[in-house]
Formats: sequence, C-alpha cells, structure tokens
Amino acid sequence: MKILVAVKQVAALDEDFEIREDGRDVEEEFLVRDLNEWDDYSLEEAVKIKESSSDPVEVVVVSVAPEEADESLRKCLAKGADRAIRVWDDGVEGSDSVAIARVLAAVAKAEGPDMLFAGVQSSDQTFASTGIATAAFLGWPHAAVVSSLDYSPGAKSAVFRRELEGGLLHEVEIQCPAVLTIQLGINTPRYASLRSIKQAAAKPIEVKTLADLALSAGDVGESGSHSRVRRMYIPDKGRAQLIEGDAATQARRLAQIIREFKGDAT
Amino acid sequence: VSRTDAVTRILFEAFPTAEVRLFYALGYTAIGIFCWGVYVQIRKYRRGTALALPGSVRARVGDMIGKVLSHRTVDRRDHAAGGAHRLIFYGFALLFLGTATITLQYDILEPLFGIRFWQGKFYLIFSLVLDIAGVAMLGGLLYMMYRRGWMKLPKLDYARPDRSPGDPDFDRPQYRREDWAFLWTLVIIGFTGYFLEAARLVWLQARPDVWDTRWWSPVGAAIAEGLGSLGLTAHGGGVLRLSLWWFHGLLALIFIALIPFTKVKHIFTAAASLMVRDPLAAQRLPRVPEAQATPGISKITDFTWKQLLNLDACTKCGRCHEACPARAVGAPLSPRDVILSLREFANATLESGTLPPAAELEVHGKSPGQVAMETLWSCRTCMACVEICPVAVEHVPIIVQMRRKLVEDGAMDPLLTKTLQTIHKTGNSFGESKRKRGAWTKVLPFKVKDARKEPVDVLWFVGDYASFDPRNQKVTQIFAALLHEAGVDFGILYDGESNAGNDVRRVGEEGLYEVLAESNISALAGATFNTIVTTDPHSYNTIRNEYPDFGGKYEIQHYTSFLKKLFADGKLEVGRPLGFRTTFHDPCHLGRFNKGYEAPRDLLRIVGCELVDMKRSRDNSFCCGAGGGRIWIPDPVGSEKPAQNRIREAAAIPGLEVYVVSCPKDLTMFEDALKTTGNEGKFVVKELIELVREAVPVRQAQALLA
Repeated sequence: MKILVAVKQVAALDEDFEIREDGRDVEEEFLVRDLNEWDDYSLEEAVKIKESSSDPVEVVVVSVAPEEADESLRKCLAKGADRAIRVWDDGVEGSDSVAIARVLAAVAKAEGPDMLFAGVQSSDQTFASTGIATAAFLGWPHAAVVSSLDYSPGAKSAVFRRELEGGLLHEVEIQCPAVLTIQLGINTPRYASLRSIKQAAAKPIEVKTLADLALSAGDVGESGSHSRVRRMYIPDKGRAQLIEGDAATQARRLAQIIREFKGDAT
Repeated sequence: VSRTDAVTRILFEAFPTAEVRLFYALGYTAIGIFCWGVYVQIRKYRRGTALALPGSVRARVGDMIGKVLSHRTVDRRDHAAGGAHRLIFYGFALLFLGTATITLQYDILEPLFGIRFWQGKFYLIFSLVLDIAGVAMLGGLLYMMYRRGWMKLPKLDYARPDRSPGDPDFDRPQYRREDWAFLWTLVIIGFTGYFLEAARLVWLQARPDVWDTRWWSPVGAAIAEGLGSLGLTAHGGGVLRLSLWWFHGLLALIFIALIPFTKVKHIFTAAASLMVRDPLAAQRLPRVPEAQATPGISKITDFTWKQLLNLDACTKCGRCHEACPARAVGAPLSPRDVILSLREFANATLESGTLPPAAELEVHGKSPGQVAMETLWSCRTCMACVEICPVAVEHVPIIVQMRRKLVEDGAMDPLLTKTLQTIHKTGNSFGESKRKRGAWTKVLPFKVKDARKEPVDVLWFVGDYASFDPRNQKVTQIFAALLHEAGVDFGILYDGESNAGNDVRRVGEEGLYEVLAESNISALAGATFNTIVTTDPHSYNTIRNEYPDFGGKYEIQHYTSFLKKLFADGKLEVGRPLGFRTTFHDPCHLGRFNKGYEAPRDLLRIVGCELVDMKRSRDNSFCCGAGGGRIWIPDPVGSEKPAQNRIREAAAIPGLEVYVVSCPKDLTMFEDALKTTGNEGKFVVKELIELVREAVPVRQAQALLA
C-alpha cells in the first residue's frame, strides 16, 4: 500500500523585499523558505492513515524543486514519510502548475500509489491547480478542498467530506486511486523536533531528472506551460481621505478632488 | 565482680541463657533484614542509567557533613522544624552511638581482646549524656507530633493539585499513617528506654554501685523515685525491667529492620543526596548523550541512578510545594508530588527481583505513579523547588528531561509548537525577520556598532524580548543611551544574534537549543570583544552556565552589575535622587539562578530610591510565570496567573510607588498583571534601567528619551 504526497517548499516575503530585475518575481534574497502549510496537513493525513493501518503503508513525498527544497523534504521525513523524491532539471525553471503536474503525474505512474494527496494550494502562488491537473494527466478521479477523510489503505473507494457555503457538508465517495487536495484543519500536524529532523538528514532523498521519468525538455518550462507570469508588482496604494466640514465645504472639496483626478488645473 | 570500681551498664544480668540467645538471634535477623533492604535499594538505583559525578569525593563528603551537622538546609524558611529536627537528629545520633559502643565492648573488644571501657567515670558521663540526648530527641519528636496533628500546615497536607478527590492517589493516607507510625515508634522507644532505666534502678536499689550513682541518669532516677513512691518493690522492678527490656529491645530491632523499607531511610538517602548534589542543577541542564536512542525520560529506567536516589531522599517536608508558583495559582503541579509519584513508581517497578517488561516502565501518563503532561507543562523552571529542598532533590532537570520526551512526541500546546517552529525558522520567538533584530537602533541619534564588523570592548547580547517587543525596545534604547553617555565602547551582533535558547532548552526542545547555541557561539566567534553584557537574565543564564558545554566560554555580566560599576567608576552620575518608594522583583534567572541579589538593590540605593522588599524576595522570589517556555503557552482562562499573585503581594506595601523589575519578560508580565488586577494608577511597573535614566542627566539622547 502506498500514498504519494506532493509537497512544495514555498517562499514567504521577508521584511523590505525587492522585486527581481526581470520584474517577474521577488528577489531571491528576500524570501524565506518553508514547507507549504497545506502540505503539512496532507502529509499528516497520510502519516495518520499509515499509523492506524494494520497493513504496511508506505508514505512517499515528492517535490518538483531544486536542491534547496531538501530542507523541507527532510522535515517530511522527520514527520513520518518513508521516502522522499525530488525531481529537478534546469529546464523546469519557469514551469506553471500544469507543467509541474505533468512531472508529478510521471512520478505517480512510476510509483503506482493507491492515493495521491496534495495541498489545496500553495501559499506563495495560490493557483490551487497543481493537484487537480495531476489528476487530469493521470486520468484519475479527483476532489478538491477535502476537510475530512475516511480511507483504509488498499480499499477500492474512499469517503470524504467537503465544507460548502452556508455551513453545508458534502459527503462524497470516490473511486481509488484518486487525487485529493487537502484543506487546512483536517488534522493537527505533528511537531518535527530538531532531533528528528537531524536524524532524517541521514535518510536519502531520491533525486530524479526528466530523463528518469521519460519526460523531455518540452514537457516543462515555458514550452510545457499553459500560462506565463508577465510581471509581479506592488499595485499603487489606494488613496482615501476623510473630508470634514459642513456640506458646502465637503462639496467644494469633493469637486476639487474630482477635477484634480481628471487632471484639470485648478 | 567487684562492685565498687566497676560501675557499669547492666545488660543481660539475670537473663536466662536461652533468652540471651533468642535476643541475639532476633538481633541478627533484624540486621539481616536491614542488609537485604539496603541491597534492594541499591539494586533499584543501579537500574537507573550511569552518571559520572564531577568534582572530588572528599569535597562532596565534606559539604554533606557540613550541611548535616549544621542542619543549615533543614533550618531554612522553617526554623521551628529545623530546630526540632536538630534535636531529634542529635538525640538519635548520640543514642545510636551510645548503643553502638556498648556493642563494641560487649560483643567485640571484650570477648576478643579483653578490653573494657564501659565503666567508672566514663560510663557515668555517658549515662548522663545519653539521658539528655533522649530528652532532646523526645522533645523534638513531640513538637513534630504537635506540628502534624495540630498546626495543620498546608505544606504538610498531602492532597494533590494534580489529582481530584476520589482518585486512588489523591491524598495518599498511607503517608500520614507512616508519618505517625514513625513518630510514635521513636517516642515509644524513647519513653520505654527511660522506664526501663527506672525499673532497673528500682530492681537493683540494694546495690550501691547502681543506686548511689543513679542521678547520673537523671530522668531514669526521677522516674524510679516516682515508681518507688507508688509502691514498686525491688522484685516488682525486676519483673517490670524484664518485660520492658524485651518490649523496648524488640521495637528497636523492628525499627532497624524496617529502615530501608520506610521513610526512615532518609537518614541515609538524604545524606547521600546531599553528597551527590549538583550546585548548577537547574542553571545548566544536562545534554542528551550521543548514544541515547530517544531524547529525555520516557521510562523509569531512563533516570540516572542519582535521580532515583533523589526520589528516595524526599522527606515530604513540603517546602517545594509551598514555594512553587504553579502550585500557588492552582496549576496541576506540585514538585513534591512529581517526586513522590515517581518514587512510588520506582518502588513498584524497580524493587522487584526481575525488571517488569518495558511497557510497564513508562512514566508518562495518568495512572498512579505516572506524571501527566499537564503537570509537566505547568512548570516554570523557576528553580524555587530545587533551591529550597533541604536534601538536594533536583526537580527541574527531571521535569525538563521528561518534557524532552513530550516535545519529541509533539505532546504540547499548539501555540508552543508554533513558537518552536517560528524560532527554528526565524531565530526569534516573535516571528520577525532576522533583519529587523537591530531595527530598534534606528531611532537613536548615534550609531550602535556592529560587533561583527569592528572590535568593541563590550558586546551587548540583546535577546529576543529586548530586541522585538515594542515596550521593551524603549528600555533597550534607553540602555543604549546610558552606555553611550558613559562612553562605553559597545556593539551588538545585529541579525547575527539569535534567541539565546535558555527557554527553548527549558521547554525541552534540546535539538533546537543546540542549533541556537551553536549559531550564537559562531556569531560571537566572529566578533572581537572583551566582555558580554545583557539586559536579559534568561540569555545571561544560558550564556554564562550552558554555552561553556558547547565551547562558548565568555565573561558575561547582567546590566545591573555593569551599571553599578559605571557609577562606581564615575562614568555615570546621579543628577537627581528619585526618592521613590520601591519594591524589587528578583528575576529567577538573575537571583536564584545566578545569585545576583545585591547589584539591583545597590543601583536602587544609588539612584536614591527607598527599597521595601516583599516577603518573598531574593532566594524566595516568586516567579512571574513566564519561565520554562510558559510565556509561549497561554494560562488557563479564569485562574490566577503567577504575575497577578505577585502584583497583589506588592500592592500590600503601603505607599508603594514603583514596582521595579530588571528583566524584559518581567516588564511584559507585570505591566499586564498590574492592569488585570486593577492596580493601575496605584503604582507603576518600571525597568530599573528607566529609573537609572530618570536619575542620570543624559545629554546626548535627550530628545529620544524625553
């Protein structure tokens, strides 16, 4: 029995950041890296299933990322993942979520898991599409924003619940193998002590290239993507002001502002 | 036998040979049971893990003897109990030595070498000394009975804050029965000893060597006079003597046989515990040995032999129970009960011939003898328990080592989990960017040197709270201005500094502590300086006492002694004596941990403040509740917080104007407690640094500090 968990090392903004010269991302040195919060929950869900199962279950985490993501993968190993796979190739740079999903699907085909978990979204890009796109490449059933799950490893189907608007719960049965994107709050992720993280450093991380997965350069990067980031920028701050005084004063001031905004000289 | 020159102790006179033989048989049996018991106890300790003790054995023994003979530790904070125990101790010791010397002559020296010394003047003086010793012991015992039976001291109440009425181990009545059995046994042995002495005098009243010297045993002689006047004849005295002899003797033998199995064993275990004491037990926590598979304490066999001995040394005197700030506010923790629970657990599992299976050795949990995680997380590691324990029980390292196991299992408050992750990620508990660590310097009209870039005389280790907490930043800026004013060549590590790790270590996250300590030590290695100064007692403690274990050896001072020296050297001068009526809160990590009691008080005097100490001050200072990582764990809603308890104590000082603290966390805790206890407006909470600033005319940074 095997559960594959797709994880991502996300970037968070440090104080006083700057935009990269090409204007498409934040300058690397202003980013703080950590495991995506949603992935913490999907990994925990997989590890919980493993721990409560009487049959042996293997939890494998996979990330499409450069070497710096090893730190987050080790954290996953410390929390109970049995193996970690990292896929990287310089050509992967610039991939959108669909191209990343293509790589993840290739890993899933090679691993043959009974279930694939992903986080609902990543906290840095927030496309919320990687997991679902992976299901599309695999041709597997999928469900998004799962907030509770009953699944016995090896079972033909699983039952999960989703929270809908208006306080409604949606209970759904799904055929396995399936791709589920896991919502925050489904469980309480465990703490990985520094000691366990250090011990996990001894566990190997399997590094795969595109060739290992029978993918080509055209499958990833900008050529393999359906979208491309044009620019990343800080929008101009909205300007608001409180106009005080009696109605006539307020009206005069308002008119003046409108004229200024139109570019009329006053 | 000549009756005139051989005045001596009457032993087996007129005993049938069979009875003498029976007595010896019983005596050897009692000693045999005693030795078996000692073996079982030692086997129990040896089932703990190994520990090498540093320092010389001679110094340890000397230290122990000094404490036992002076009763210094028993006397503290309870002179009545100390005095009574001293009487019992010396009385018992003299009576024991007296009896032992009888055996020495009668059973060893005389039969083997024909040496007799128990006669003549020597015997008479000894007889007098032992009679007085008996009075001392009985006096002490009777006072202890009064104390237990009538004074109803809360610290002698065995009801547990971590159990509910109805739980099998809620108030442990077996302890009360044992206490009384112990007292009564010794009292009866004492009284029957005197009556036996009296009966012997009445019985042998015709013998001048006995009767004429009777007043050398004044208590016995007085009772003999009384018995005589009540009509006891010499024959009756003989009968009474024989039956009392057996009763007294059997009771004494039973007492000896039971020593290793009852609280009486504290005679040995308390002395041994004092001997193996670690003077830095709470200040410098033990590292996790490389070879250890799981960190911390999970099973009873994970304790060191010394810790198992500690458990047995506890005399249930309740001083830690009384001093514990968690217990005082109703948290489910009493250091006494942690120790007693573990002792019950150790006795149930480690005294049997074969060790029970591993599953039965797990000390974490809610069953009798186990310690619940709520109990362990209630501890503030303030060291009040370790500091006051008369027999050197070291509670704090035990609690922290048990927490290490909880941290490994993730069994902790979610907010604490978050904080630890935050510290790991950013190096500080505020979750702020590393870059912002030195941001507080920006408003200063002078530049604070980056000690990583240029050599400084004084390296200031700022610490998390002083760096990031907005209220504390103001104090930090004032301290910088004072240093600048005094012409001190100082600098900081800016973003090279991380949380010092003191509280992370006390939480039990040893791996993260190692990361923090190593990171700071390597940052310090990249700076050139002569001495370290900090305003944070927590950083002060770990850098001073714990970094040396990681290769970081520095000279470090808390700001109170540093400022005091600046005044002494004339670098700072008081322009305006303040004249406030103040009280001073000793921070645990400055006071109890590092004995920094005087410098802050001297500073208060220097700036012209009147100091009224609270009842709980100096070594008995009452923790603000923030220690041991508790600042990151919310206190239960509705219950009193230690800081509130403390502010109420201060509020009772008539005319109090300023409640003075000298620790960033204290400022946060007590300003909050001042508001929540409704004392706002009655007096204020201030950092000592702020008072110094008010008294010293600071020219350079006037605008900033106005």
